[in-house]
Amino acid sequence: MRGKSMLLIASLLAALSLLVACGPTPTMTPVEVTRIVQGTPIVVTATPVPVPKEKAPDVLGVFPRSETLIAAQLTGRVGAPDDFNEWVGWKWRDRGMQQLMNEPLWSIDFATGQIINGLADGDPIYNEDFTQVTIPLRKGVTWSDGEPFTAADVVFTAETLMKYEGFNAHSFFVENVKRVYAPDDYTVVFELNQPNSRFHTTFLDRWGSTWIMPKHIFEKVDDPVKFQFNPPVGTGPYKLHSYDPAGYWTAWEKREDWDKSPTGILFGEPKPKYIVFQAFATEGAKILAQLIHQLDAVDLSADGLKAALAQGETNRAYQLTFPWVVNNDPCITGITFNTAKPPYDNPEVRWALILAIDIVEYEAQAVDGAGTLSPVHIPSLGPYPEYYIKPMQDWLKEFTLDLGNGETFKPYDPEAPARLAEYVKSRGYAIPDDPAFIAQAFGYGWYKYAPDVAEKLLIKNGFSRDADGKWRLPDGKPWRIEVISRSDMSHLEYKNAAAAVQQWKKFGIDAVHVPSDQVSAVTQYGEYDVSGNWPAFEPWGAGADLYRTLDVFNSAYVKPIGEPTQGHTSRWSSPEMDAVLKRLRETDPTHTEQVIAAGTEGLKILVQNMPGFPTFGYIGFVSWDEYYWTNWPGAENPYTQPYTHWGPFKYMTPFLQPTGR
Amino acid sequence: MAFVQRYLIPRLLQYMLVIFLGVTAVFVIPRLTPTDPVLQTIAQLRSQGSYLDPATMDQLIQDLTELYGLEGSMWDQYIALWKRLFRGDFGVSFFQFPTPVSVLIGRALPWTVGLLLTTTVISWVFGNIIGGLAGYFSRKRWAQALDVVAMLIRPLPYYIFAFTLLLLLGYVVRLFPIAGGAGLGRKPEWTWVYIRDVLRHAFLPALSLTILGGTLWFQTMKLIVQNVNAESFVQYAKLGGVKESIIVSKYVIRNAMLPQVTALGLALGQIFSGALITEIVFSYPGLGTLLYNAVITGDYNLIMGITLLSIVAITTAILALDLLYPLFDPRVRYR
Repeated sequence: MRGKSMLLIASLLAALSLLVACGPTPTMTPVEVTRIVQGTPIVVTATPVPVPKEKAPDVLGVFPRSETLIAAQLTGRVGAPDDFNEWVGWKWRDRGMQQLMNEPLWSIDFATGQIINGLADGDPIYNEDFTQVTIPLRKGVTWSDGEPFTAADVVFTAETLMKYEGFNAHSFFVENVKRVYAPDDYTVVFELNQPNSRFHTTFLDRWGSTWIMPKHIFEKVDDPVKFQFNPPVGTGPYKLHSYDPAGYWTAWEKREDWDKSPTGILFGEPKPKYIVFQAFATEGAKILAQLIHQLDAVDLSADGLKAALAQGETNRAYQLTFPWVVNNDPCITGITFNTAKPPYDNPEVRWALILAIDIVEYEAQAVDGAGTLSPVHIPSLGPYPEYYIKPMQDWLKEFTLDLGNGETFKPYDPEAPARLAEYVKSRGYAIPDDPAFIAQAFGYGWYKYAPDVAEKLLIKNGFSRDADGKWRLPDGKPWRIEVISRSDMSHLEYKNAAAAVQQWKKFGIDAVHVPSDQVSAVTQYGEYDVSGNWPAFEPWGAGADLYRTLDVFNSAYVKPIGEPTQGHTSRWSSPEMDAVLKRLRETDPTHTEQVIAAGTEGLKILVQNMPGFPTFGYIGFVSWDEYYWTNWPGAENPYTQPYTHWGPFKYMTPFLQPTGR
Repeated sequence: MAFVQRYLIPRLLQYMLVIFLGVTAVFVIPRLTPTDPVLQTIAQLRSQGSYLDPATMDQLIQDLTELYGLEGSMWDQYIALWKRLFRGDFGVSFFQFPTPVSVLIGRALPWTVGLLLTTTVISWVFGNIIGGLAGYFSRKRWAQALDVVAMLIRPLPYYIFAFTLLLLLGYVVRLFPIAGGAGLGRKPEWTWVYIRDVLRHAFLPALSLTILGGTLWFQTMKLIVQNVNAESFVQYAKLGGVKESIIVSKYVIRNAMLPQVTALGLALGQIFSGALITEIVFSYPGLGTLLYNAVITGDYNLIMGITLLSIVAITTAILALDLLYPLFDPRVRYR
């Protein structure tokens, strides 16, 4: 009998497995789409829209599905769902607050390289010594409760932030603002305590900014720090519909007066009537939700994206062909050295470790060749190749390392992207041979794989190999490198760290990868050798200004090991970099040529010193379901940045097209 | 009086000592980890490369340290903690500042208690009844078949089992939602529509916990009953012609229940730690993920609030068992 029971159960399990394998298998038919950008009709390539066999539910929860867009919330379940006071602490602003409810003064759109005027009506105007800035404001904007937006709101915001210590931006405004006033309803003037040519960037939305408070609400509140601001009021095109008290979703409804928001004024009517941000605790649940058309947009891991594209007939990635991924994110990944700790305080040792890396093998291991290489500490995307990377080619080619004994070496390798392209072809991916495509997809160059040169540099600095070929430190002890990174295996910090360890092991160093959930604190306190942290702070993603990328290397932020630094975790600085920063501070950020000249100087200093080394640009694994919504800003039609968690998602909503299902 | 002196007072003292030591341990341990709640908050504010001027960051650290009550020595903070706890104040969550810890726990608790209390009781009742019968009638075919099923299910890792249920009933058959505690856009209200929606969302998490929990109770009860059944006093009762129903209920089940009652008490106490993996697989609200996130972000007050609840619940459950045990087991009473 036991045998029969086993057989019965095995049969049941087999039947269930078959059911799983035979999940829904939709078919596809092409459908044409069109779009309009800022009132101008533009011809675009039609995106094929598949038609699945099965019928998806018309209503999800209380929402008519065909009028509702559902996006996964990047930062997960909201811990304080009742609280919309985003000026205090962390309030999961990607639940829709920064994307739909709020309009900033300005937004970064890294896909177009543009800065979009939201509540501002133009660029900030600084006086000659940068102690005063005048900001023109947009007319015709109202808050979602119908009250007009004016300069009084901006003045009130600054004054309130300065008055209460509990606000995140309190210190910044107290330190910078002497006086703020409104000469008229649509102009605001900030007088500053000291010259600051980048003061306005606190209002520039790059995944967050200082948002403007509705004066008519906050002025009636006794304690604006503890005020929950629920229901919230904003100047964005959507208003709060409802939220899950347990924090798993937040739903937004299109304002009836959407044309009174900057989004409506600039780009027209948003198409989805409702937009819901939903948190999922696992990637598996996200993929399942997308496969049953209950999730329109989601960020996944590399493997998750492959699974979603393989299973979902209506799924698409940012790029329609290899490498599929979002490769225009304004962030550079790589490796960071702790330059406060020997032997990583020696730039020649750092350079030796770079030359011990075969970047093709490295990137193959890390991201299967999908990343765009960059030889400098900004990504090779958007405006940066034109502003910096291409003009720096001659300098990079001539950049020389002194190996001692009169021997020199030029490490730059403009052929590295071509080698990477060959690897990609060897993997079976069809890619064009067009040099323009190679440059766009794989970058303009990286550094040579030169283990012999690395060896010379190390020997020059007192290192040696033992009988087994393993490297020893100048004091004769075995050289062990611990490379710390986040523990999330899908994160690019982890992937960079793992790839570097593999390369250095091959070179004969006892390198180990140490994944840790505490990497943020450990690196801030300087208790590490090498990390997978980004080698420089992310640039804005638009415009030429590199101040925020370089400013983290300001010597004022360097702290001894054991004290947390808010500068770069490499703890590196130099008088030359301080001079560049001073030059940038004294330059109007809108003066492109001067900004580029100073920025280029800063990048050269970084290449010479390599406190961390750049590898490839950040890669995003976006999956869109085209069952209900199409005309997503994919690589073939990048009318705006592609993420639903970035602020300019609001500027995507007028261009999305319902499929009519 | 002897009961109070020799039995009740020592246990009450033990109860208070365990809570004191638990609170002290929960105070010290998170502070020994490298996680700094202030830096975690700042890191989150700077997530995705959003900009905070490094020049003012040090001032922000100072402000947050003050706001979070982390100024002063460990000893000062420890004394301040007890003062707050005696006032019934858990403080505010650092990461969800300025939301009080009690509000966060109060919001998550009904989900956890609703799910785990129900599934623990159901799985205990059915697991023990069926396990008891299967143990007594262990030679019957149906009992052997159930044993095989339990043996197949029990070793499955919970995550795999739960995700398989999600895949089968949420994706393939699509009978139940795959995430959340209630439908999108539904506001909590005492209406049949909302209650039905909540029950529908709770079904898969509850099913996974009930089946795996139930098989555990089933297997332990079956083994205990088989052992008791082989005891001499049961054999004598059978030989003495005692009715089988009386043997089952008075001789076998009653004896076999003793360890199961103890285990139930402890299981109910552990409810307040949450069901982390269940919450993760089904994106279900509750204390488990709240505690997990608190640990990751170094939210000392929130860690203290949840673990104190758990410590009190488990020690109270043990105390209650100690005090109630004489009712179940006369041998304890005679001592």
